[in-house]
Amino acid sequence: MRIAISNLTKRFGALAAVNAVSLTVEEGEMFTLLGPSGCGKTTLLRLLAGFYTPDAGEIRFGDRVVNEVPPHERGIGMVFQNYALWPHMTVTENVCYGLKLRRVSASDMAARARAVLDKVGLTGLGERYPGQLSGGQQQRVALARALVLNPLMLLLDEPLSNLDAKIRVQVRSEIRKLQKELGITAVYVTHDQEEALAMSDRIAVFNLGSACQIGPPKALYERPANRFVADFIGINNLIDGTVTTVGGQEGGLRAVTALGEIGAIHDGRLRAGDRCVICIRPENITLNSGTGNGKNSFSGRIALSAYLGNTLRYDVEVGGPTPFKADIGDPWHHEQLAIGTPITLSCTIGSTLAIPVD
Amino acid sequence: MEQVSAFSAGWRRTPASAVSGFGLIWLFLLLFVLYPLTRIFYDAFTNEAGQFTLVNFQEFFTDQFYLRSLWNSLLLGFATVLTTSVIGIGVAFLIIRYEFPYRNLFGYLTMLPMILPPLVGVLGFVFILGRAGTVNILLMDWFDMLHPINFMYGMHGVLLVETLHLFPFMTLSILDSLSKVDPSLEEAAQIVGAKGWRRFRDITLPLTTPGYISGALLVFIWTFADFVTPLVVGVQDLLAVQAYLNIVQFVDRRIFRMGIVISALLVVLAIVFVLVARHYVAIKDYSSLAYSRVERRQLGPIARWLAVAVLGLLMFLSMIPQVGVVLAAVGKGWSLTPFPVQYTLDYFRQVSIETPRFIVNSLVYSGIAVFICLAVGVPMAWIMARTRAPGRGSMDALTTLILAIPGTAIGIAYIRAFHYPLPAIDVALTSMWIILPLVLAVRRLPYTVRSSYSSLLLVHKSMEEAAENVGATKFATFRDITAPLVWKGILVGALFSFIMSIQEASATLFLTLGGWEMIPFGIFTYYIAGSHGQAAALGVILIVLCAVSLYIVNRVAGARVGGLFG
Repeated sequence: MRIAISNLTKRFGALAAVNAVSLTVEEGEMFTLLGPSGCGKTTLLRLLAGFYTPDAGEIRFGDRVVNEVPPHERGIGMVFQNYALWPHMTVTENVCYGLKLRRVSASDMAARARAVLDKVGLTGLGERYPGQLSGGQQQRVALARALVLNPLMLLLDEPLSNLDAKIRVQVRSEIRKLQKELGITAVYVTHDQEEALAMSDRIAVFNLGSACQIGPPKALYERPANRFVADFIGINNLIDGTVTTVGGQEGGLRAVTALGEIGAIHDGRLRAGDRCVICIRPENITLNSGTGNGKNSFSGRIALSAYLGNTLRYDVEVGGPTPFKADIGDPWHHEQLAIGTPITLSCTIGSTLAIPVD
Repeated sequence: MEQVSAFSAGWRRTPASAVSGFGLIWLFLLLFVLYPLTRIFYDAFTNEAGQFTLVNFQEFFTDQFYLRSLWNSLLLGFATVLTTSVIGIGVAFLIIRYEFPYRNLFGYLTMLPMILPPLVGVLGFVFILGRAGTVNILLMDWFDMLHPINFMYGMHGVLLVETLHLFPFMTLSILDSLSKVDPSLEEAAQIVGAKGWRRFRDITLPLTTPGYISGALLVFIWTFADFVTPLVVGVQDLLAVQAYLNIVQFVDRRIFRMGIVISALLVVLAIVFVLVARHYVAIKDYSSLAYSRVERRQLGPIARWLAVAVLGLLMFLSMIPQVGVVLAAVGKGWSLTPFPVQYTLDYFRQVSIETPRFIVNSLVYSGIAVFICLAVGVPMAWIMARTRAPGRGSMDALTTLILAIPGTAIGIAYIRAFHYPLPAIDVALTSMWIILPLVLAVRRLPYTVRSSYSSLLLVHKSMEEAAENVGATKFATFRDITAPLVWKGILVGALFSFIMSIQEASATLFLTLGGWEMIPFGIFTYYIAGSHGQAAALGVILIVLCAVSLYIVNRVAGARVGGLFG
């Protein structure tokens, strides 16, 4: 089921929690709403679920406008942040409650419950009460309860935020696999950018009630369209500057910054004289690899180093207001440098991005 | 490992003063709770010669009248639970889930019946709805009715009074449970298609079970143990009434012993109901820390005024006794007219200035009772919340036990247990006025313990450890960290103990000797003697004292007093 949202607005008092948002979710897509708390992502999900009525704009499921349709007539399954399992019912009773309301025959009901519990890996736990299950198991019950009604779409509200790190990674790939298998349209809310990148077909990054950028994970990470996205997703070294020339080598631009002149690629929105932000990812920086054509170089001193196992992260003083972050991807083969060591950082122009100031 | 060492180290590191404090508390509990209770069971199972016998029980269970009383008591208890459930649940949901005019006002008014001591309540009802009450006089004047309608006298009158007095306890318990239910549980039901009544029945109502059970238990035991209300409306075939009547007649030893047997039965039945309820609640604790509230729904134009009308009527009914008591207190020679013809403050003068001892005794004894409650209850709460001292579980069980025991039974137990002269002074405890504050304190100890305990739980141990970590001594930690965080809870519990003590009639009626009369005793004896004006004036004074205390509780704690009744 395709979801089309146009100019959707929801206000709480003077605050527009969702402010004129337009987006579409394609059939069978895993679409993530990502953003910090209070950005409007949960409000949007609850508008989709039918717990809130929009103040303006339109929500379409397929061809049908559902603005005023009550939750249970929207054909959705929902998984809540705290699972919301009914504690006075067994796992099977939780799963079957919706079927019972639909007057499904007892034998049919039992068969469907068994099938869906098998699917989420809870075979044989049907007689337990939610309080007797682990967090991961409870999460799976919530998923089974949402899926057993064969919904047209699945809404997931931070479903993994109450789980331990290891379980979280495991359940997240299970959810992703199940969603692909069923080919069901899913809208997923999270504030965890790693989770969003790992699970989604497309992501909408939310800030202050609006979608700042919508795109597949790779596009968002490598080509953020604005400072908020560049800063929110992953780690980025951001440098303010002013564009001097556009259309130099490799179709890039050149800009002056507090750290000297920098060459960068851009998406065509910048003109000479525009103020811009230069973004350089820590993993694209190399140490002491020499200067040269097609490279930006900065010299500085090591201020801090952090050994993280799979990476080694240096904070380097380069003369700007914040230290530069530079990652060594294979610390196994790298001797950790002492604090104060002078160092040259470089980064290819092809991996240096310039974006407009918002 | 850590736990084991902490446990064994618990006693070794504990200073002698703490151990002796612990011992004193247990001594208090053994002497004033366990011993008297054991004493009535001893009496119930022995004959005049002190020999073991089952003859008392045989007599009880072969006597048709006693059996009918038992049956009636159970029936009345369950009927009251039923009526208070319907009203209490309805009011709780209306107030917490819906938006309608004067919602807040009704929220406060719901609490009003609680400040009305049951004894005063039944008098007020009789003044307005009795045979010669306002309503009947008006009806006879207007419609030329020859005989008054019997609103009050009989089981239905008891049911009416108990229902209107007790439904707020049910409402508060449900409100407490309801506010702990996570809204997403209902949203999840909404998504799968559970609508309106169905969702309420399948999801919401079952989730309030723990609160409901504790409310129902309170209502049941209260009704079960109340003898004052039935007596005033002329009902005698109830267990608690039989216990009272058998005890206060000092003529026939046999009948006196049967009074003890009946109170032993009251205790056993009350304990059984508590155990069943506790078991049920323990396996069904659904409370979670709800992260948000269910949004209140606007009622439609008709429904909203219907809600106001229903609640208004309910409040009007609950106000009847207050109006009746006030009218009777200021009405001079009020009889055979719907309202008093002449007004006077004479009765107030008589019961306050001329005979101040009712008010003075009430304040002094209840004050001492609260002091004892604090002295014993706060350390008990601290032991239960903060230490691994052995016997903590028994302490908890004892507090619940005290909540369950009917006041009648405690009064009788004290008479039986403490009528022996004390060794050094050769005077029996029952001949010293201190027995009244003592029995009041024991009755109301659980409120202090519970509210102190839950306040102490809110102060996480690590807050105290953090203070000690930056150099605070144990005493400084308590003074600067723990005390500021818990005093409110303790004060609320103490004030509640005060309100309940000053209203107490059932346990103290037996024990009161000349000169020790508290307000409820005064009301009862004045009423029985036919001095309705004086009884009513004392009733008004009692209501005012309770109202002031409840107002303070509310200012200190907000409206969150529901948890106390669990």
